[in-house]
Order: sequence, then structure tokens, then C-alpha cells
Amino acid sequence: MTGPMLAQEMGLSRRLMPVPAFPMPGLLIGGSIGLMLVAVLGLIGAGLIQEHVTPTQRLLAPGTLGHPLGTDQLGRDVLARTLGGFRWSLAVVVPATAIAAFVGTLLGLAAAANRGWTRTILESVTESAAGFPFFVLAAPIIGLAGRGYWPLLMVLGIVSSAPFAIAVFESTWRGRYPMGLTRALHAVWRALPAVGAFMVADLVVAEVCLSFLGAGAPASAPSWGNMLADARQSVAAAPWMLYVPATALLLTVVSANWFGEGLGQLWGPGPG
Amino acid sequence: MAGAALVKLVSVEGPPREEDGYGLAAHIGKRLAYRAIQLAAVLLTATTLSFILVRLSASPAALLAGAGATPAQVRSAHLAYGLDGPILRQYLTFLVRALRLDFGQSPVHQAVALELVRQRLPATLALTAVVLVVTGLVAVSVGVWLGLRAGRPEHGWAFRLLLTGQSLPALALGLVLFHVFGLTPASAVGSPLRFTLAVLTLAWWLVPRSARFTAGTVAGAARQSWVLTARAMGATSRELLWGHVLPNSLLAALALVGVQVAFLLSAAVVVEWLFGWPGVGELLAGSLHTGDFPVVEATVFVLAVLVFAVYAAVDLTLAAADPRLRRTPSPAGV
Repeated sequence: MTGPMLAQEMGLSRRLMPVPAFPMPGLLIGGSIGLMLVAVLGLIGAGLIQEHVTPTQRLLAPGTLGHPLGTDQLGRDVLARTLGGFRWSLAVVVPATAIAAFVGTLLGLAAAANRGWTRTILESVTESAAGFPFFVLAAPIIGLAGRGYWPLLMVLGIVSSAPFAIAVFESTWRGRYPMGLTRALHAVWRALPAVGAFMVADLVVAEVCLSFLGAGAPASAPSWGNMLADARQSVAAAPWMLYVPATALLLTVVSANWFGEGLGQLWGPGPG
Repeated sequence: MAGAALVKLVSVEGPPREEDGYGLAAHIGKRLAYRAIQLAAVLLTATTLSFILVRLSASPAALLAGAGATPAQVRSAHLAYGLDGPILRQYLTFLVRALRLDFGQSPVHQAVALELVRQRLPATLALTAVVLVVTGLVAVSVGVWLGLRAGRPEHGWAFRLLLTGQSLPALALGLVLFHVFGLTPASAVGSPLRFTLAVLTLAWWLVPRSARFTAGTVAGAARQSWVLTARAMGATSRELLWGHVLPNSLLAALALVGVQVAFLLSAAVVVEWLFGWPGVGELLAGSLHTGDFPVVEATVFVLAVLVFAVYAAVDLTLAAADPRLRRTPSPAGV
């Protein structure tokens, strides 16, 4: 019973939620524009300004010459670091989503194609992994393996393949594919982009939270999680250290969620 | 009256199937066994994974003893884990120590790791319980309101609002609250203000998705043909809502409490650390910073047991509340 509900709860079948009677093209359009902005900022914007540690220019307020959005406690330009955060987030989250989609699709299809014990074990494993507190699992792994790009990528990719597997399994009508295998695979194919968009949104937040806990990106990496952790220390003196990266985070997550929701609505409700 | 007649009508569900008459006791037994196996598998995986990571590190004994341990403590960890022996025996020692709940001493706090976690548990349980109650009340009210208005204009706006609310990262909201209320970073200070802000942040994390899920189940139940039947038989809207639609839809929401708690505990690690609320999550985050491996291991163990205990409790409540579950077999519960 928990399978389909878990898929919904994990946010992976958010499109199976009650769809309003009228479509919302605004969601898809707004989400697409937002995501394009994120991609442009990450691919181009991040390269425009270089990040320097200038100890003489610590905690400068926004509007200072050369630092339009101020500097942080080490004298790094907040704008440059936030733009770098777009690139860092994309570099972590997009490959992690690809890993999760690949592993999860394989697991989900394996569960759909098999019967008996194989399916039971696959289902139990994915359900246990998806239903376990994520940070409680991920933070110690990164704590032991050491902070860094690769541990972060592996943990995010592998742990989030479980919800993907559940979504794929549900898309094949729980392995019954009453209308034939081709239709089932077609349903999986149609489900993946929306699921992927939601996954990007969730993984951006997960990366920020792990880095905020000090169990994610290396301290020098321009992760928004690192910036928010710094902001927590000195928000009273330098609120811009909080609000600038928070806005960037908001833009990314809201865009990805709107895009996923709009895409899901465009292609109609999936198999219920 | 109409209600009683409806119950009779609805309870006729076609011919009995061969798996009927399954029995409540057998159902509960199966569910509990399933949860116990799940817990054992998760713990075995976590232990094996941490063993591999520890072995991969430069000096396993120093890692196991925890950062800041004296050379004598490192030496005793080396002996306790039998790090001189063959790799297979090391793994067995590792497993046996986990099985005996022997996570060792915390070099940072100079105390038994498991005892430290036990002391922090009440703070986390209080936080979790209050958040669950708040979330339940808000999410069910909003969800029922929304679910009964599927297709109306205000539904569209509320839907957009919830979708956006779900997207607003609660971590950022928590930090804004942190700033607005002028808090300073402090480790493990409990105060009513910090507790309230932590509850608000965690509720923000949970409410939108719970409300949307409840709205989905309520809208689904309201579309069922038995609602039309009941209306035709003269049931009032209130009878329909409280007697039929809500019990049907809220059972589905109840089945999700386990996942909610897992999600909540995950978020609590971040939020407790953010506000310095002295719970298990704050201990875990702090121990990751100080490299206090024994405490990290003990925390993960305690939280895993807690999560699966909640899953088992939800299974039991569902079995008691939902007569359908007693009749249908659950294929390994999935």
C-alpha cells in the first residue's frame, strides 16, 4: 500500500495530485524562464566575476565600489560567490539526477519485470531507502568519506535513486502493464522529465542542507549551503550574506518545481 | 437511517476472495516482522558501509576513537576493534560491537556515546511531537478545504500557493526567522523562543506536501460513486463529509505518518543545528563537525530504531482502524 503513497509523498508523483480543472500554462512558462535564467547565470554569469579572498575588505555593505552586493566575513564578493553557487549547484545536482535516473530506472524496471522474491526484495530495499531520514543517512557517510564533490555526487545520486525506482515502478502500473510493455515503457518515458525536474529541486535543497551542516561541499566551494552557514554566524552584522544566496536558492527551487508541475499537467495525469 | 443503509450497501463488495479471513493477528504479526527485517537490513547496511569507509581512511583507529582522542584512547580503540587481525575478523568485531550497542566513548564529551544520545532524545521527541500535531491540524484543515473545492477558481490559487510554499526552502525561512528574532549561533541552548521558531520552520517543511496529499485523497474520495449513492439516499453534506469522505481519505493520510516522521527527523537535524535546540539532531551535526565518530554511530543507530518503531506503530494503528487491511493480504507490505 505504501508504494504509491510513498511516491507521492517523496514528491515524485506530485503531478498525480489533484490537478485543477483548468490548465496552468503559467507554471510551465514561468518555470522554463526561471530554469533558463539559472542555466545562464550558472554557465556564463559565474565565469564573469572571479572570487578573491581579500581580508582587508571584510563585511562590506552592498553598494560598495566593486562589490555591488557586499562582501562576506573573509572579504569575498557575495555576488561572485552566489553566481558561483549556480555553477556549483548545477555541477552537483544535474549529474546526481542523471545517476539517480539511471540507477532508479534500472531498479524500477527490474522490479516490474520480475515476480516473486526478486520483486519483493527490490521493493523492500527501495522502500526502506526512500523511507529513511535522508540527512541521517547522508551526513555520516560524507562525514566519514570527507567533504568533497565526488562524495556529495555519489551520496545524492545513489540515495535518491530509490524514489526514482518507485516512480518508475508505479508508471508501469506496478509491473502489470495491462496495455502491453510498449505502453508501459512509454509511460515511464513520459514520467521521467517531470520526476527529474522535481528531483533537481529536491537535490538542490539537499545539497544546500548538507553543506549547511558542514557535511557537503568543501569549505572553499561556493555552495549556497556554505554561504548560509557563514551567514548564520554573522547575519546580525551582514544580513546580505543571508538574503543574496537565499534569493538564488529560491529562484532555482521554485523554477524547477513549477517546471515539473507544468510538465506533468501538460502531459495529463499519469496512471493513478 | 440513511447512514446505516449506506453502510449495508457499501459493505457488499462482491464475492468473497480466497485470501479473505486473513485475521488481524496474522496481519499484525506479518507487518511487525517486516518492519523488524527492514530495520535489521538498514542497520547491517549502515554498519557495513561505515566499516568500509573507516577502513579506507588513513588511520582507522584515530577515526574510530574520534577526533581529539588521546594516544591512549586511540590505542585502546585499536585493540577494542581488533585492527591487527585479518580483515574478516575486523568486520565481525565491528558487527558484534554494533550488536552489543557498544559504540564506545566520546572523546569530546568524555562520556558513553549511547548515553549522550539518550540524554538528548527527550528534546527531539518533544519537538517532533509538537510539529506533528501542528502539521496534522493545519494540513488536514487546509487539505480538506482544498480537496472539497477541486475545480473552483480559489482551488487554483490555493494550489499555486501551496506549490510555491512547498518550494520555499525551509532552511532559508529558518535563517530569516533567526535573523528577524536576533538570535546568535549557540550550541545546545534550549529556550521557548528557539523551540517555537524550530517548530515553525519544521512545520513549514511539512505542511505544504501534507496538505496537498490530504487534498488529493479528499478529492479522490469525494469523486467516488458511493458519495453519489449516499446523496441519492438522502445523506446530508455533513453526514457525507464526517461519516464517509473523511474516514476514507484520512486513513490514507494516516498511512503516511511514518514517512512524515522520517522526513521530519531528517529536517530536524538541520533545524536543531540552525537554532541550537539541544536534541539528537544538534548532537549529530555537532559531532560531524568535531569528528566524534562514536557519537555519530550511536545517533544513527538510535534514529534508525526510532523511525522503524514509528513505522511499526503506524502499521498497528492502521490495522486497528481500517477493517479492509485485515482482510487483504499484504505482499510483504509493499
